Amino acid sequence: MPSKMKTCEDYRTALIDAAAARAEASEPSHELRSHLDACASCRVAYAEEVQLFTAIDTGIQAVANAEVPASLLPLVRTQLNEQPVPSRSWIPASAAMAAAVVLLAAIVLVRGRWRATDEPVLQVSSVTPADLPVVMQSTPSTDAPRELLSAPAKNRFVRADKTTRVPAAKEVSVLIPVGQRQAVNALLKSVRRDKAGPDIFSAEKPEEALQELKVAPLTISPIEVEPLADVGAESPSQKEATKR
Amino acid sequence: MARRIDPMQELVLIQPGRTAEKEFAQEAAAAALRREFEERLAECGPLAYRVARGVLRNSADAEDVAQEALLRAYRRFERLRDRTRFRAWLVRIAFRLAIDRTRSSKRREVRETLWSQTAPRASTEDLAATSEFQEHLERAMDELPEKHRLVLLLAAMQGHTIEEVAEMLVLPIGTVKSRLFFGRKLLAEKLRCHRK
Repeated sequence: MPSKMKTCEDYRTALIDAAAARAEASEPSHELRSHLDACASCRVAYAEEVQLFTAIDTGIQAVANAEVPASLLPLVRTQLNEQPVPSRSWIPASAAMAAAVVLLAAIVLVRGRWRATDEPVLQVSSVTPADLPVVMQSTPSTDAPRELLSAPAKNRFVRADKTTRVPAAKEVSVLIPVGQRQAVNALLKSVRRDKAGPDIFSAEKPEEALQELKVAPLTISPIEVEPLADVGAESPSQKEATKR
Repeated sequence: MARRIDPMQELVLIQPGRTAEKEFAQEAAAAALRREFEERLAECGPLAYRVARGVLRNSADAEDVAQEALLRAYRRFERLRDRTRFRAWLVRIAFRLAIDRTRSSKRREVRETLWSQTAPRASTEDLAATSEFQEHLERAMDELPEKHRLVLLLAAMQGHTIEEVAEMLVLPIGTVKSRLFFGRKLLAEKLRCHRK
């Protein structure tokens, strides 16, 4: 049975699709091209559709490529300077708190086990204290402020066995008056950044600029060279000796 | 009677090396972050503006939105693990902010039209710069689904290939092509009665 002859209306959708796809360099199908060759009204309709899509593309390009105001980037840079330093932490506060609780529980658990293992070792050391090498137990850095104030009481001799832990590198701790804390921190910061000038430790700067120090040239008066006194003449003591 | 203060009670223990190192490291990291962001700013700032302009059709609003998008991106820059995705990320921020602003301005417009029917949609300058067809086109674009609108805008920007748009939006190339095709067809349907 022969297929029914297609009308112009049947080609309508294909015609629009072909016009829309022209931007992608796609050509109308062979069947549509044959129809366009034969039908003048569809050729006109196709041309109009192509024109419409071209106008749409031009319009979108005009919208999408609008001129960027010159003030945009300088304004953003100015606002960036006013922004606080971006937060480094991306973990939500609740997650951080939960992690802290878990960590605390783990520390308590580990400490409890340590105490249990430490007790027998201490008993052994009390039996034979002399014939074993000893080390000074260092306090952990986290407890440093409390430990250091009562340092003499804490320093004790323990066995240098496998359970004794000595930190690989010690953090230097310094005692300073409370009121000077900020000043010391500022000083350290400037030293770190190589911003500390030569006058950092001076109490006050001289008001006037230092003048070049003038020093008179060194003068050496001529030395008079004289021959030695009469060598033949005898001293009074020598005379007395010869008299005897 | 003044209480005599024991000087030892006033002492505090500090660890200068650790404190200074920590501060120094933080500042160095912040400076590096800022430098890295600024490197991208010159390239991606105009992109943010154009995306916003394409949605808002108003230069002043687009500039505001682009600034906001860039600042928001800076504040969250640290969280972006894959920095090569910065453009795509910024485009999405700018597009979302622009859409939000359009919606809020439409709500405001509706409120204002209750009092005055003469409220202009865009500034005089913007209107003068657009032809009638362009105005119809931009209105038609407003009515497009967001996914089609963004693809149309990005693909129309100079220097963007379909592959780049696909990469930017983390979409398959076929999806980008299909969105372009259907987006343009939707626009054509709306504009057929306003042909030039």
